Amino acid sequence: MNKELEKLLFNPVRLKILSFLFTVDSASFKKLIEVSEATKGNISVQIKKLEDAGLIKVRKKFEGNYPLTLCKITSKGKTSFELFFISLKSYETNKTEK
Amino acid sequence: MNKEDQIKAINDIINETRTKLKPLSFNLIFWGIFINIMSIIHYSFPSFIQQTYYSAGIYWIFLPMIGMIYMTRWNIKKYKEIGYSTTLGRAIKIIWGVFGFGWLMITAFSLYKGINPVPDILFLLGLVIVMTGMIIKFKPLTIGGMVIFIFIFNLNQNPDQNFLIVNMIGITLGLLIPGILLNRMKTDE
Repeated sequence: MNKELEKLLFNPVRLKILSFLFTVDSASFKKLIEVSEATKGNISVQIKKLEDAGLIKVRKKFEGNYPLTLCKITSKGKTSFELFFISLKSYETNKTEK
Repeated sequence: MNKEDQIKAINDIINETRTKLKPLSFNLIFWGIFINIMSIIHYSFPSFIQQTYYSAGIYWIFLPMIGMIYMTRWNIKKYKEIGYSTTLGRAIKIIWGVFGFGWLMITAFSLYKGINPVPDILFLLGLVIVMTGMIIKFKPLTIGGMVIFIFIFNLNQNPDQNFLIVNMIGITLGLLIPGILLNRMKTDE
């Protein structure tokens, strides 16, 4: 598995964000805070790292007078997450067989 | 975080994600009641609704349009509250959006051609309900859609029936009752 990806997803907040975005079409910043149980500051940093790695796409817009941040997983993010999950599962299977 | 923890975290998150079906049930109930009330008014006061050649058409275009605007705003608000959208939810939204457009088109063309729009609208509604029922795997909705097809067949066999009564029964069985059953379902799929 890609070492960089493994390092990136070693962080539980980033892992939760990517897992959640993998299962939905798009999610708001507020929802990601709820899912990852992280603080606003921390989640902003982690989202930025995932965005810089090209795994997610962030769109900012205004709903009335309120800012709304929407996050969506990219196709690169989907493929990477699938590979990551397969590798985790194969590790689990190997461990059970031993 | 070791690998077991990572697997657990992923599984927990995936299990938490569900397409919320409560808003859909509210949509079905709303339209079930709305169209039935419209049909009852039309049935009770036909001379008022059919005052002129175009008045019934206008009645069946503009009131549903107000309903569509209201429900679109309600759905947007609900989506904001939920905070995420799923591919399944998006598919349902698109299907019903196309139905709304089709409904208005059929009503407008029927008005232009001077024919009754009820059979065509019911057919389109039946299709959309069956599709939605199959997508969300909710049998009462799929059956409700099929019941509408029976009504259309019946309308074709006996065109002298009162279209408004057929409309009311079809909408009640196809939209209202499945909507209530979906609303009462405890778990979201």
